[in-house]
Amino acid sequence: MGKEECKTMLDALNKVTACYRHLVIALGSTSDSQNLREELKKTRKKAQELAVANRTKLTSLLKDKSISKEDRAEYERLWVLFSSSMELLEVDMKRSLEIGQDFPLKVPTRHLIQTGMTGSTNAVAARAMSVQNMKYEADSNVDTADLSELQTEITQVSQMMEEMEMKVQVAPWAVVAKQEAGAELKSNMSVGNSSVGVISIEGGLASIGAVVGFFVIVAVALVLGYLVI
Amino acid sequence: MTIRNALRDHGQRYRPRMSCLRKVEKVLLEMQDPNTGVKSQPQRLVITTIPHAITGEDIVAWLADRFQIEAQEAKNFGSVLVALGYIYPLQDHKRLVIKADASLYRFQTPYFWPTQQWPVEDTDYAIYLAKRNIRKKGILELHEQEQYNRLHKWMNHKWDFIVMQAKEQYRAAKERKKPDRVVFDCQERAYWVVHRPPPGTVSAMDYGLDRRTDPNAVEVTDKALYKCKPFTIYHGRKHYFLPVRCVTDSELFSCRLVKYCATYSGHDPFLSKCLPSNPWLTDDTTYWSLNMPNVEIPSKMRVERWTFSFKELLSDPRGRDDFRLFLKKEFSGENLAFWEGCEDLKWGTAATMKEKAEQIYKTFLARGAPRWINIDGKTMEITVKGLKHPHRYVLDAAQTHIYMLMKKDSYGRYLKSPVFKDTMKKEQAAQPQPHRHPATGAGAEGQDGPEQGGSPSSS
Repeated sequence: MGKEECKTMLDALNKVTACYRHLVIALGSTSDSQNLREELKKTRKKAQELAVANRTKLTSLLKDKSISKEDRAEYERLWVLFSSSMELLEVDMKRSLEIGQDFPLKVPTRHLIQTGMTGSTNAVAARAMSVQNMKYEADSNVDTADLSELQTEITQVSQMMEEMEMKVQVAPWAVVAKQEAGAELKSNMSVGNSSVGVISIEGGLASIGAVVGFFVIVAVALVLGYLVI
Repeated sequence: MTIRNALRDHGQRYRPRMSCLRKVEKVLLEMQDPNTGVKSQPQRLVITTIPHAITGEDIVAWLADRFQIEAQEAKNFGSVLVALGYIYPLQDHKRLVIKADASLYRFQTPYFWPTQQWPVEDTDYAIYLAKRNIRKKGILELHEQEQYNRLHKWMNHKWDFIVMQAKEQYRAAKERKKPDRVVFDCQERAYWVVHRPPPGTVSAMDYGLDRRTDPNAVEVTDKALYKCKPFTIYHGRKHYFLPVRCVTDSELFSCRLVKYCATYSGHDPFLSKCLPSNPWLTDDTTYWSLNMPNVEIPSKMRVERWTFSFKELLSDPRGRDDFRLFLKKEFSGENLAFWEGCEDLKWGTAATMKEKAEQIYKTFLARGAPRWINIDGKTMEITVKGLKHPHRYVLDAAQTHIYMLMKKDSYGRYLKSPVFKDTMKKEQAAQPQPHRHPATGAGAEGQDGPEQGGSPSSS
């Protein structure tokens, strides 16, 4: 059915948008590298393919006049999801262009910001591309050709969004969300050890260590005392 | 989906130029230099070690050395860097100041730097709050909780997207190794502490009102355009000497502003002396009685203002009376009467509009009307057509035509006419009164009577 297909495609687009944003955040920092730029390029292309596919599907569904009111409301909701994703993508692409230009890689002395992030981002990119491992090509003109490609892609995306706005008559404010406030609290995502929680106990670490040590010593003393007695 | 306005809009929606940001970015890049920059050390946490932590005292010392300033000033500068969000504290993350001791800081990633052209979006903030909800199972600060509820109400149509995106971003972040995850969370948290502080905080991001023009739109980089050349043009019988060749809109505006200030500075009671005396200071209301709207004899300054522009003349009731007198003598009074009728229509109540429009048509525009005005055929056609469905601005075209006619033709003649010359002869030159303190001045300071002849006599 059209709706299920749409939903899966939108989920995929959403996933790619989230991964792309994560990758752009790493740009310009010490985890920046040629690999990262390539990952960005690949993720971008995947996002664009998904975007075009989503758009054609959704526009064909919305143009269909013979659908019921609930269906139409549902498609409008999906359309709002789609256009919000595209907005995020567009902004992220423009920002990646700017940051990419400000922090060129093929220069004798790289000035990357020491943010503390040193690991690689291939797991994130692999998630975006839905592959197990990322394969990289030895691309040499990461600063010039890549960025000019990015510029053309940005103009394409902007044009697509303008077309979308003009041609599709959807009133976004009329869409009612299905999730109520705090829906994500009930989500069954594993919390794990919350990483910021680690930071917050770091300050009290010394005191906790002291308390733990104290109890160990008391326990040992008790055991020894018991043995003596 | 946000609504984009594809048409030209005249709203104020641009953030002002923040030129300090580019400068700070340069300083920040210098701080990264492995040899001459700030020394970094690893930060030890429970299980992990994260590199690139810098101490407050190192930062302050580096700034003092680089700019050759005192320690206190370096500390202030460091605090500005933290307040803008380029460096964030690792302990006590909510207070954006720099402490010149061993407390640790870290550099922010370029994506989270404050930029002029990328405003901070509420959508992103909503996604961040949703992510925090997921991670901390609902423990948000009070102001964050309020913001969350507010955003849920106002961005309800996007809420599904926000929740979906929050989940996906959370999952994407989990793909990274532990130290990077920690750093990422700290970065994001620091970003939102800067850009969405609790209410009542004085933030470095406060900037007052939005601006009308985009500071990033046009950057004139050609230095030649800024050279000032004397420029003379010959127009009619006058030479106009323009000291600066104005090329951009803002330069044209500033030329006009300078000219306006030069012309009107003598007439401004704040900038130059108010004759005879400022009523607020001396309690002498002569100034007001001399400048009443329909005073018989206008003051000298007032008459001078009429010569500045036609608009000045018309907007002053006494000036308009004078002009009306002149037009009566010239037998073209219907122009001014029509213009006044149009103004009345524009500013009048909606209920009377229809009758007023009909009245004006009958008196001025119809064929064989008693006070028929002379406007060209095209304008007449448009006006008559519009009068079938009269509205407030239906006579705008005709009014403009008559206004320009009066301005170009009658106004010039008025300034040379005996009527005007008569008025100038009669005008009063107000005498400056010595400033008397209201507590001491018992006697009233009378004003000299109207002067005959143009020259002010010394009192």
